[in-house]
Amino acid sequence: MSALDLSSLSARQVRDGVAAGDFSARELADASYARIQALDADVHAFLQLTPALAYEAADRIDAARVAGEELPPLAGVPAGIKDNMNLIGTRTTCASRMLESYESVYDCTAVRRLLDAGALPIGKLNMDEFAFGSSTENSAFGPTRNPWSLDCVPGGSSGGSAASVAAGMVSISLGSDTGGSIRQPAALTGTVGLKPTYGRVSRYGVVAFGSSLDQIGPFGKTVDDAALALEAIAGEDPYDATSAAATVEPYAAVLDGDVRGLRVGLVTDILEVEGCAAEVRQSVLDAAKMFAALGADVAEVTLPSAKHGLAAYYVIGPAEASSNLARFDGIRYGHRVDDAADVIDLYSRSRTEGFGPETIRRIMLGTYALSAGYYDAYYGQAQKARTLIIQDFRKAFEQFDVLLTPTTPEPAFRFGEKSDPYTMYLNDFYTIPVNLAGNCAISVPSGLCSESGMPLGLQIIGDHFAETTVLRAAAAYEKALGFDTTPPLVRGRV
Amino acid sequence: MAKDRLLDVLERYEAVIGLEIHTEITAANTKMFCGCPVAFGGEPNTRVCPVCLGLPGALPVPNEAAIEWTVLAGLATDCDIALWSQFHRKQYFYPDMPKDYQISQYDLPFCSGGVIEVEVDGPGVAERIDLGGDAVSVGPGAVAEDGGYRTRIGITRIHLEEDTGKMVHVGGSEGRIAGATHSLVDFNRAGTPLMELVSEPDIRTPEEARRFAQKLRSIWLALGVSDCSMEEGSMRVDGNVSIRPRGATELGTKSEVKNMNSFKALHDALAYEIVRQADLLDAGEVVVQETRHWDATARRTSGLRSKEEAHDYRYFPEPDMVPFSFTPEWIEGLAAGLPELPDARRDRYMVDYALPKGDAAMLAADTATGCYFDATVDIAGADRAKQVANWMLGDLTAHVNAAGIGMGDARVTPALLAELIGLVEDGAISGKQAKQVFAEAAETGDAPGAIVEARGMKQVSDTGAIEAVVAVVLEANPAEVESYRAGKTSVIGFFVGQVMREMRGQGNPAVVNEVLRRMLG
Repeated sequence: MSALDLSSLSARQVRDGVAAGDFSARELADASYARIQALDADVHAFLQLTPALAYEAADRIDAARVAGEELPPLAGVPAGIKDNMNLIGTRTTCASRMLESYESVYDCTAVRRLLDAGALPIGKLNMDEFAFGSSTENSAFGPTRNPWSLDCVPGGSSGGSAASVAAGMVSISLGSDTGGSIRQPAALTGTVGLKPTYGRVSRYGVVAFGSSLDQIGPFGKTVDDAALALEAIAGEDPYDATSAAATVEPYAAVLDGDVRGLRVGLVTDILEVEGCAAEVRQSVLDAAKMFAALGADVAEVTLPSAKHGLAAYYVIGPAEASSNLARFDGIRYGHRVDDAADVIDLYSRSRTEGFGPETIRRIMLGTYALSAGYYDAYYGQAQKARTLIIQDFRKAFEQFDVLLTPTTPEPAFRFGEKSDPYTMYLNDFYTIPVNLAGNCAISVPSGLCSESGMPLGLQIIGDHFAETTVLRAAAAYEKALGFDTTPPLVRGRV
Repeated sequence: MAKDRLLDVLERYEAVIGLEIHTEITAANTKMFCGCPVAFGGEPNTRVCPVCLGLPGALPVPNEAAIEWTVLAGLATDCDIALWSQFHRKQYFYPDMPKDYQISQYDLPFCSGGVIEVEVDGPGVAERIDLGGDAVSVGPGAVAEDGGYRTRIGITRIHLEEDTGKMVHVGGSEGRIAGATHSLVDFNRAGTPLMELVSEPDIRTPEEARRFAQKLRSIWLALGVSDCSMEEGSMRVDGNVSIRPRGATELGTKSEVKNMNSFKALHDALAYEIVRQADLLDAGEVVVQETRHWDATARRTSGLRSKEEAHDYRYFPEPDMVPFSFTPEWIEGLAAGLPELPDARRDRYMVDYALPKGDAAMLAADTATGCYFDATVDIAGADRAKQVANWMLGDLTAHVNAAGIGMGDARVTPALLAELIGLVEDGAISGKQAKQVFAEAAETGDAPGAIVEARGMKQVSDTGAIEAVVAVVLEANPAEVESYRAGKTSVIGFFVGQVMREMRGQGNPAVVNEVLRRMLG
């Protein structure tokens, strides 16, 4: 085992150490794989390890350093990639039997940018199948466990991305967030997870779930690491017509902890939601007090339509998903029955066998919502609700720079605990409205639940393309709170 | 099917026809949502990428040139251009469609509410039984002429979408799916920008349908939007046709006819379908709403599906692209760049140069020919436009057809043709000589003046020189002189031939004639 302990280093420390010659990129790859070797049999964050790619990248960094070349901003930083993002040389399975043996033939833009910034591609990370879920229990290849307690879920759908960072297997990871799939697992694993503004990061190459909602974003152990990663992956992409031309700012450079005069809105009307733990509510109120103490102008605000977010999302998300997943038909790639009687039989049985139950549920929901005679009642109505939510946020951001809510109504739950879909869906109550409105938001650790010892998360929501403001606020809060992001289990094991 | 069967049916029934015309925007060079080249044929699956193969995670990026071409097409057919428009997903499963949805347009097409005026003349006029024969007039602004008529066909919409791939069915007969053991898919065509024009059901006869499609093709060619090859499938015409008893206002059940690979096939398939439906109704049966396939060899249509499948395409707005908003200024800018369309060009030729309608229409039929004519007349002068037209529709057309080249590629450029016509009109060479000069110029690209010089072809108009030759010829043919003077003036031709032979063809025929008549008389 390497002497290097990744769990004790931030991505910034890693890349500074590489630049200073304290350790090589190759040693970092060794350290990453050593921890995976030690922990992943329990955690199961990875679906696929890619040492050939990682060591090739590491050798390039080490050679560049020896040659005295300027190193890229994430030089030598071990990184994990959610398994719904394409990368040549890997399988991109979306944790589905359907794509179990699908090999990428092109690179996802965000992944390419991360690797061009010097990050080492350690492997592909577990997730709920096609990103449908909040626990990774929907992975066709078995769930990921929470490094804070192996009996608990890590959240989802980017559960592998969250757990790998929490366990110190990698310094940063990429996830995707359609209704909370970055922020919810970040909250449940005590990590930082950022969902950028819709259009901030190219979606080219991430297997689409809800095209009007999906965004790729980073996980890190610190706000600073998330900012460094965002800087690498953000920006307009000619291959994504919805990517925005908005300037990519030097996010990490402005995290000075100063939030004096920042207008912070405490969202009060949705704090009382069904199933929101008292301790979760209290942690948000505490956070508001902390911002006030740091010199921010804190006031209460309401988002009257946000409570309709969940219902609207479970029409729009599945509607888009039912369309996006149509291409998995067994004709050109993916799972295919070999004894089909005709083309309809081939479609029907290949899809029935290839997709798991939650995926089939979403496809059925979405297909129904778009059907003739139901479109107006479901999809049309959901779009109206979406418009109201957008207006709520627009109004709120006329008065505030950031808004505070819990990330999730409760900390990490046990496997099998949420057996009916609706209870599971409620976990994304606070995160979903942000996707519907296209805003950016971060989840930053806000302490531990006194009862279970599991992490809690604070969601800080920003206006469109106001990532800088959100990261600034998150960094100040992180610094003031002083949360230790290393799970005891991990500390004990290595 | 005998033609009079159609006329017989049309005596009793009125046909109601609407066309759906798909045209590939071959001018766009690249596919609708990716950078793959647009071309016909080629090794299967060689012009493909993650986007047009619908690979997981790939996204469409709209081809702006294709959108501009579509708007131009709309402007050329009097459509309203939407200021706000978007793509929708049309969803159905089929192996030639990589995403199992087609990016198309639904309630917000780029163009809507246009019109095309169609002229019908010749034998096809007879199909309009209700107009009762010869000179007729239909619709607003229609003018009766040439025993034909004009009618206006409305255009419901023109929208933009992506083409599908192509299936090859193996193991059945003639590549049809029936009886096939398996199918192959070629995605080279998948994603090609495709304009779909939907006409109003304003068409009443197969001939009008044919004329409409031909007119549309000539407009598309004038714009340069597509090569409009019906054989290669870059222009595909489907017809919706129903019939109803004359005088009835309620529409009959329609059938949709596909697979017409030529304008003649379009006419014949619709004619067949009208008669078939009439036979059913006459026998007390009903027409079933279905898609029918035209078999050009058997000259009949057959049902593609036993029962019309009730497709629910589950259209919804394409979330991978933001909606398009156009300014009136942008649309006006495109309109200002519209080329002169075939009808306007033809009318201009008739008015400005007094060309006969048929000639004017042929010269105006495509932009290359029209531009060649205009350029030549610019140099030769408007008073020689008739000669320019004659040369172009005669020797030049024959030449480019034989050489398999376009008018614009001919080595006889407008400047050279104007020079040649000048030589004839100025009497420097005869018409017969001019044909030789043209042939040589077409071969070499040399200037007619230089050819005439090099070949010593200068025409002799000098009266004295001609008189000397005429004297010799008359002297040598006393018998013919006698018969001319006895009143058999037709032997003048014999003398002209003799004189021309003596002069190796260089005598000015008019002067030779004049001298002969004088010396004989």
